[in-house]
Amino acid sequence: MSSTTKASRIGEELWKTRVDKVNAELVTLTYGTIVAQLCQDYDGNYQEVNKQLEKMGYNIGMRLIEDFLAKSNIGRCANFRETADMISKVGFRIFLNIAPTVTNWTSDNNQFSLVFDENPLADFVELPDDGRAQDELWFSNILCGVLRGALEMVQMQIEAHFVSDVLRGDDATEMRVSLVRYIEDEMPPEEE
Amino acid sequence: MSYYFTILSPTDVPLFNIAFGTSKSGGDGIARFRFPDTAQYMNQFIIHSSLDMVEEAQWMNGNMYLKHIDTYPPASAYISAFLTPSGARFLLLHQPPHAAGPNANAGGGGGGGGIGGSSSILGGSFAAGSSAARASASSIAANPTSPQTEEAVRQFMAEVYENYVKTVMNPFYRQGMEIRSAVFRSRVTAAGRKWL
Amino acid sequence: MTVFSLIIINKAGGLIYQREFQPGLRKLSTNDYLVLAGTFHGVHAITRTITPKLPLLTPTATASTPTSASSNLASPSGTSTPIPPTTTTTTTTTTTTTTTTTSVAATTYTYPIPGVPATGLESLETDKFRLTCFQTLTGTKFLLFTDPHMANIEVVMKKIYEFYADFVMKNPFYQLEMPVRCEAFDRNLNGWLRGRT
Repeated sequence: MSSTTKASRIGEELWKTRVDKVNAELVTLTYGTIVAQLCQDYDGNYQEVNKQLEKMGYNIGMRLIEDFLAKSNIGRCANFRETADMISKVGFRIFLNIAPTVTNWTSDNNQFSLVFDENPLADFVELPDDGRAQDELWFSNILCGVLRGALEMVQMQIEAHFVSDVLRGDDATEMRVSLVRYIEDEMPPEEE
Repeated sequence: MSYYFTILSPTDVPLFNIAFGTSKSGGDGIARFRFPDTAQYMNQFIIHSSLDMVEEAQWMNGNMYLKHIDTYPPASAYISAFLTPSGARFLLLHQPPHAAGPNANAGGGGGGGGIGGSSSILGGSFAAGSSAARASASSIAANPTSPQTEEAVRQFMAEVYENYVKTVMNPFYRQGMEIRSAVFRSRVTAAGRKWL
Repeated sequence: MTVFSLIIINKAGGLIYQREFQPGLRKLSTNDYLVLAGTFHGVHAITRTITPKLPLLTPTATASTPTSASSNLASPSGTSTPIPPTTTTTTTTTTTTTTTTTSVAATTYTYPIPGVPATGLESLETDKFRLTCFQTLTGTKFLLFTDPHMANIEVVMKKIYEFYADFVMKNPFYQLEMPVRCEAFDRNLNGWLRGRT
């Protein structure tokens, strides 16, 4: 897969030369505190917490995409498969220094899974043992929003959600990403 | 050897308790204290009574590991302490299998001969305790104040401390809350199995 | 090495930033800048639309070019053209249909520079200044007015984009698509441009 290796190379290079590093625990604790606070604010309504995390991520993604493009200087992807490689090998590499595995493609090439071998956001985390968090809370749901926001800015409407999480006792942490459509009417028709 | 390990918050709230027995020298990892099961509070009583000693000892040097700080001869219970920088106290009570008393548990301590295994939790097997104690004279179990024991406890404390830090970094853990994490409990058990 | 001024236009054609760095151009009224931004936005879209598309005729070319062209689309081109739907669908259908069908359908085409989609107006030059336009993949346009003889405008443009990403997009209080009023962006941009001259 040449596009995959190309993406890996770009990601590695950017990570080494262009990215400001920050202490991982700082990120982990900051994010963890946000989630815990949301759980408290919404009084254990985990569906609502998931929703808020996704929304926060969406707003981050819409801004972060500019940074991604300015740093990486890469152009438009030819197809969704290439987009997936760029997300995994460049995006996740430069922002979280991980490269989740892209896998489980559907035959129409419109859906794939990202499998996270490691997840810096979830270090030290054990979900609350109230009997519901294990089934309802997607701790790292912010990532779904980030992808949705970022891709929307480059004319791709997608849907992303977690299907499993090691925090819940699953074997792997997996996110499902589906392309809904390419947003063609990128610029609203205007009358001068 | 039987152990009782507890973590106290800086304000003396018990955060975590666990009792376990030695896994060295053929031990089965089950705690056999000398009090009857109905008097398990004795452990807490003894361990908490050593807090004054801890507070005295903590200013003597800059170490986190305070070593063996207190002994309660009536139950031949030995207390080792470890301080975290935030002021949490790790206290470990160890009670060697009795060398001469009527409740000696040879099965747990020596592992020699064919007498082990039948003892109940109450420690009811009357066996030739002296030979068993001699057999394991150099082991941690028999000699709570030896350098080997100090070192083993230090290793144990260090490993527990490492896991304690990770546990309190869990965003869902609030400071001063009881540690209910099953993962932490299993890690402490594993550390006990490894070092004590 | 004169950079006269910078204009940023959001993806809807609204003016969100205008600064003059060195005197040399005549000033416009605020309203005129807004009109300039809107007009340029329209002209840019039109120039992209009228970019000729060259049909691919030979069946052999049809068989090989769409795939190679689409993989080349990722080359740094700084354009925001969505992938033409026709190309996308053809590429996916050719895997099952025969190549002759595709060439007969004549829906496959290439741009004048193979592999680089149409970008629209990139620069506009007079003997007094040159206007360079850079459009990001998200649709934001950066217009840079420089001396016509200035070289390496891409370097300046790239740096401006980075400043924009850092000090505008990462400023949590900046509202997307709204006028840019970020003091740190001005300061860094000014400092960097002054350091170059």
